Parts: sequence; structure tokens; C-alpha cells
Amino acid sequence: MTPDPSTVLALDRDSVWLIIALVACVTLTSRLIGPFIMRVVPITGRVERFLDGVAVSVIAALVASSLAGQGEREMAAVGLAALVMIATRSPVAAMVAGIALGAGWTYLLG
Amino acid sequence: MVLTLAGTIRGARGLLPVALFVMPFGVSFGVAALKNGMAPDQAIWMSLLAFTGIAQFASLDFLQASVPYLSLALVILAVNARHVVMGAAVSPWVNQLPIGQRMLVLTFLTDPNFADSQPVFVNGERDVGRLLGGGLVLWGMWAIGTVIGVMGGRSLGPLDAFGVDVVMLCFFTALVAGRVRQRRYWAPILIAVVAAVLLKEIMPEGWNILAAALMGGAVMALRGEARA
Repeated sequence: MTPDPSTVLALDRDSVWLIIALVACVTLTSRLIGPFIMRVVPITGRVERFLDGVAVSVIAALVASSLAGQGEREMAAVGLAALVMIATRSPVAAMVAGIALGAGWTYLLG
Repeated sequence: MVLTLAGTIRGARGLLPVALFVMPFGVSFGVAALKNGMAPDQAIWMSLLAFTGIAQFASLDFLQASVPYLSLALVILAVNARHVVMGAAVSPWVNQLPIGQRMLVLTFLTDPNFADSQPVFVNGERDVGRLLGGGLVLWGMWAIGTVIGVMGGRSLGPLDAFGVDVVMLCFFTALVAGRVRQRRYWAPILIAVVAAVLLKEIMPEGWNILAAALMGGAVMALRGEARA
């Protein structure tokens, strides 16, 4: 039997629901598991410092990993955002400066 | 630690400016989901139920005739592995809540509200609503963006022109730069940046971030001991 050509490429709805359920479950588990593990770890001074280091490192790593795959425009935007933050201590000002640079770069240099 | 409605509203208000910029990403996801063969209602449900930007985009590659579910699960796990350490990092505060509230707060744990609230908890904030409220407003904007995307976001054109693509990068950078005045954060930040970039070459996307975060944490823990 030849399948109807109009349905060959169409994705089966149930498979998509399964994908959604899988992504949602894995993601929720990743969100719940950290504090669950920490319930059995005594919070000593060293563990506290470790967690504080992890907290800043995970965000720094996220930025660095993303920048590693991008160009000068993104580097410049991030660099400016960092400088504005250090100067003004306002995350919103830093964001606006970075966005403005990103938009201006695209506008002027394409 | 407490979780109050007032604190949650304050948290939501505080992160609203950032969340507004999350909306365009939701739009992009809606557009990309339809392009990859997902139905509009399913794209919206996915944003509501999974609420995980990078992982949702990654899962679109798996919309094919016979879905490799195991590979999909591994990719999502890798992309979201950082949630485990983020959750651990807020556990000293979150674990003081009753189990129901704890699960509610953690369900809405994402990068922006984590990065926003963890330093505030370190500085003595007692209300976990900061974390939950931020998560809720991000979730709402992500869902609204997805709805706009599936209803005709294609006509909006590429969003790079407005600098929208660098919003999250700049926000995260600002939060890291906010720590630069405190010398004790220099070593973990430096190690994490170098490790994330170098390990990206040899590790699947996502695991490098987890490894870099753990290394940054280890450096911080060891240095503190040496000084004491």
C-alpha cells in the first residue's frame, strides 16, 4: 500500500506529544534534583564557598561558551555591558548599552 | 526562609524588564516550531510545560519520522545539566521551605532568575519569592512570545537587527561583572571562562558548562581554605 503523499512528511501528532512530555520531564528533573542531593550534604563553610563559586561560574561559563561560537559584534556587546555594569552597577543600563551596540553594529555594518 | 505573595510579586516586578526581552525568543521558538512541523497548539503547550529555551530549540531537530527518543533525552539532559548545580547553589535557602513550596519554586528555576536572586540570598534576603516571581514572569513572557510566534511571527522578520539576540548574553555578563569588585570571585570566574571555552572543543554542548561550573566552585572552595 502506498501512503498518501500529503501525509508522508507530516509529523505524527502523538510522537510530538511524546517529545514534549520527554523534554518537560527531563527538564523538571534537572531542576528538582540539585536541592534534593544537597539535603544529604552538610553545609559547611567549604561547601558554602563551593556553591557560591559554582553559582557565579555557571553563568560565566554560559556566556563564555556562547561567545566562543560567535563573532566580534557579540564580543563587543558583551564587553560594553561588562564595562557599563562595573561603572554604573546597574544591570539594566548594562543590558541597554549592549543591546544598543548590537543593534547599531547590525545597522552600520550589516 | 519564607515564600510570600508580596515577595513573589516584588520578584516578578524586578525581573520584568529582563522578561520582556525573553518574549522575542518565544516568538522565534514559535516560528521555528511551526517550520519544523509542530502544530501551533503543541508549540504553545511545549513552552508552558517544558519552559526551557535552549532545550526546546534543540528538540526541534528531533522532529522526524522515527524519533530517536534516547538521543533526545541525552541532549536535553546535557543542555539542562547546569540546572543541577544551580539548584544545588540555591539549596541552602530553598531547602528551608516546606516540600510543596520547594517544588513550586524549583519548577520555575531558570538562568535569569537564578542569576538575579542567588546574590541577593547571599546578601541576606529571606523571601524566596524573589526567585519564584522572577521565574513566573519569565515563564509568562516565554509563553506569550510563543503564542505570537505561532500566530504569525514570521512577518516580524529577523530580530537580530534590534540587538535582541544579545540581550541574555549582556544580562548574564552584567550579573557576573557585578561580582568583579569582590576579589574572591576572580579565580572562579577566570577558571570557568577558560574551561568552558577549551572544553567546548572536546565535550558535547552543555557538559562543558557543567564541568566549568564545578571547576569554578572547586577553586573557590580550595582558595578559601588556604586563606583560613
